[in-house]
Amino acid sequence: MSLIIDSITKRFGDVVALDGVSFSVDPGRIFGLLGANGAGKTTSMRIVLDILRADAGKVTWQGADNTSLPRRTWGYLPEERGLYPKMVVGEQLRFFAALYGVSDAAAREEIDDWLERFRIPDYRERRVEELSKGNQQKIQFIAAILHDPDVLIMDEPFSGLDPINVRLLKEAFLEMRSRGKTLIFSTHQMETVEELCESIAIVDRGRVIVSGAVREVKRQMGRQVVRLATDGDGHGVDWLTAMPGVELTTRREDYVELHVPADRDPATILKAAIDRGDRVTRFEIAEPSLEEIFVEHVGRRAVDESEDHLASSSRDDAS
Amino acid sequence: MSGLFPNALHVARREYLFRVRGRAFLITTVLLAVAIVAVTMVPTILAAIGVADPSRIAVDVQADDMSEDPVLAIQAALALGSDPSAAAGDEEPDDESIANRPRVTRAEDPAEAAQAVRDGELDALLTITRDAEGELAFEYLGSSSPTNQTRLLITQAASALAISERLERAGIGQQESAQIFQPPSFTAVPVDPDDARDAEDFGGALILAYAVVVLTFMAILTYGNWVAQSVAEEKSNRVMELLITASTPRQLLTGKVLGTGAAGLTQYVAIVVAAVAGFVANGPVSEALGVSGQAPFSLPDLEPGMLAAFGAFFLLGFILYSTLYAAAGSMVSRIEDVQQAVGPLIFLAMAGYFAAFTGLNDPDAGWVAVLSLVPFFSPYLMPARMLLTSVGAGEVVLALALLAVTLMAAIWLASRIYSAGVLLYGQRVSLRSVWRAARVAR
Repeated sequence: MSLIIDSITKRFGDVVALDGVSFSVDPGRIFGLLGANGAGKTTSMRIVLDILRADAGKVTWQGADNTSLPRRTWGYLPEERGLYPKMVVGEQLRFFAALYGVSDAAAREEIDDWLERFRIPDYRERRVEELSKGNQQKIQFIAAILHDPDVLIMDEPFSGLDPINVRLLKEAFLEMRSRGKTLIFSTHQMETVEELCESIAIVDRGRVIVSGAVREVKRQMGRQVVRLATDGDGHGVDWLTAMPGVELTTRREDYVELHVPADRDPATILKAAIDRGDRVTRFEIAEPSLEEIFVEHVGRRAVDESEDHLASSSRDDAS
Repeated sequence: MSGLFPNALHVARREYLFRVRGRAFLITTVLLAVAIVAVTMVPTILAAIGVADPSRIAVDVQADDMSEDPVLAIQAALALGSDPSAAAGDEEPDDESIANRPRVTRAEDPAEAAQAVRDGELDALLTITRDAEGELAFEYLGSSSPTNQTRLLITQAASALAISERLERAGIGQQESAQIFQPPSFTAVPVDPDDARDAEDFGGALILAYAVVVLTFMAILTYGNWVAQSVAEEKSNRVMELLITASTPRQLLTGKVLGTGAAGLTQYVAIVVAAVAGFVANGPVSEALGVSGQAPFSLPDLEPGMLAAFGAFFLLGFILYSTLYAAAGSMVSRIEDVQQAVGPLIFLAMAGYFAAFTGLNDPDAGWVAVLSLVPFFSPYLMPARMLLTSVGAGEVVLALALLAVTLMAAIWLASRIYSAGVLLYGQRVSLRSVWRAARVAR
């Protein structure tokens, strides 16, 4: 039984933050929540966690209403990182574990294990304010999972991490999945989503634009991507765009990228190139990237707009 | 909603340890304890540095036809004013009290005496003359403050001298005029026979009542502010979002109030212990120094039931205010805005404080009785009333019950404001937006 978000609506004053948001997450999977800033990702997460109540709609996990579930069902990594700056790492983590009912002995063991895994075992007796941002974020992650939650909800877990720490965190994700946990996270990094997520939902201005298995979402786009490189340079690409339905999306020094409608066999392009006498050095049929899908659905304009909005207003919660 | 415990205790424990381990806590506690010991030692210190010196007065009698010796009369009046028990004659004066008696002398050389007053060797020079009508006229050279004790006593003695002289002129002899000045018998009969407040005990009770009011007020203001600060801090460093995911607002609120309250009480107890120690140490220390620093008042006997009631009023009142302080702290995003948010609470606490101070002057007044039942004021007024008048047990229980009910309502309201407030970030969170959010909060 999965986590089902069923047409939740949330207003803050006159602002409609969520307008009938629905999607479902299969247990034991990694789920990506995509959307521009202010699209409603954080609000959705807070409602799932039951720290905010929706105006309408409901959330169920394994058939049970989320308002009736114990707190320790969930692990949460908020977007705005928050720890007690003057408290020692180990003591602080044990405090959060205790709030979830974890025994002190079990917490100590688990803390040592994770600090080791994140390669910061000697930070246990350090104050949080003495740690770098990246290391604080690792502590924040440990705080979210010490009580062994079934569902782990993370808001922008990769933002502000250097590549090494990104890799450590990805490994931690896979470790959690191998323990049978369900992971939901939001991010702007599409490559990370492609790498980790089986399913996604794209949220825009309080609505779910598209959701489901990544493969399915890509197929729904109704087109294929063809990357082509020939040594017949200088001939131009006019002959390609002249083909019905074919659209040139990227023109690079080493190859061109084309969109081909789903009902057209990409092989016809290869045939046409060969017929022209060019030597084909690269021919690749690919699915559209999530980035393309995201940009196409949400639109460049909306992205710009929301970033401007974010910069001009205070950090409000409608995101 | 899950129960309050154990999470409230985890929060309280963290809060308490974090506070008490801090260097600021240690420093303030030590400083306050030292200050309070110094204050209680004031009588001894004053005696040691000789402020309690007897007054020295010179009298220049130019009206030499007076039938009564003005020097003796003034000497008697001053002795009566500085030590009432000496005049009552119920005790043999010991050497010390003789040494402490005011010294009134006849000024042989008025000019020299006037110079001595200016040099500070004498406290005052009183010149007695006769005016054109033959009435006595007094000129006082000395402290210019109209409320100066010596000056007041000498003014009274001068009136007595003049009046007795007029009586004598009217043909009333010395003996009869002494009778005329004799105060009548005056007995105050209390309505409640248990309510026999003799003057000495009442003085002690009054000082204790002031102490209770001031200490309660300070505890509410100081430690309430700690609670608000600490909530705002958790909001501003964003640890709140983690806390609110791990536990319910009610657990957080309760833990916060209990933990900060316990830390506050730790400091409070340290200060009160220091105060009592200082008070008790007065006697031995002044003895060691060889000065007469008697305790300024004697504490009235307190029954255990009364002490328990004081404790209950203090704790309930303190928790009531702290709970609301926590709610106020949850409404702001930055620590700098805390003062503004707690403004109305400070106002409320001050209103009770001033009402109690006014009420101490007239503890039997009807409005004091009414206000001592009102929840936000009863923690000040009821203990004060109990010390100064006799209050029925029913009234005390009613005041406590009202306080407890208000506390429960405040916890309900505060946890709603808190659960809504902690997730609202912005320049200023208005009461209206909090209320809107609180209605749908879990």
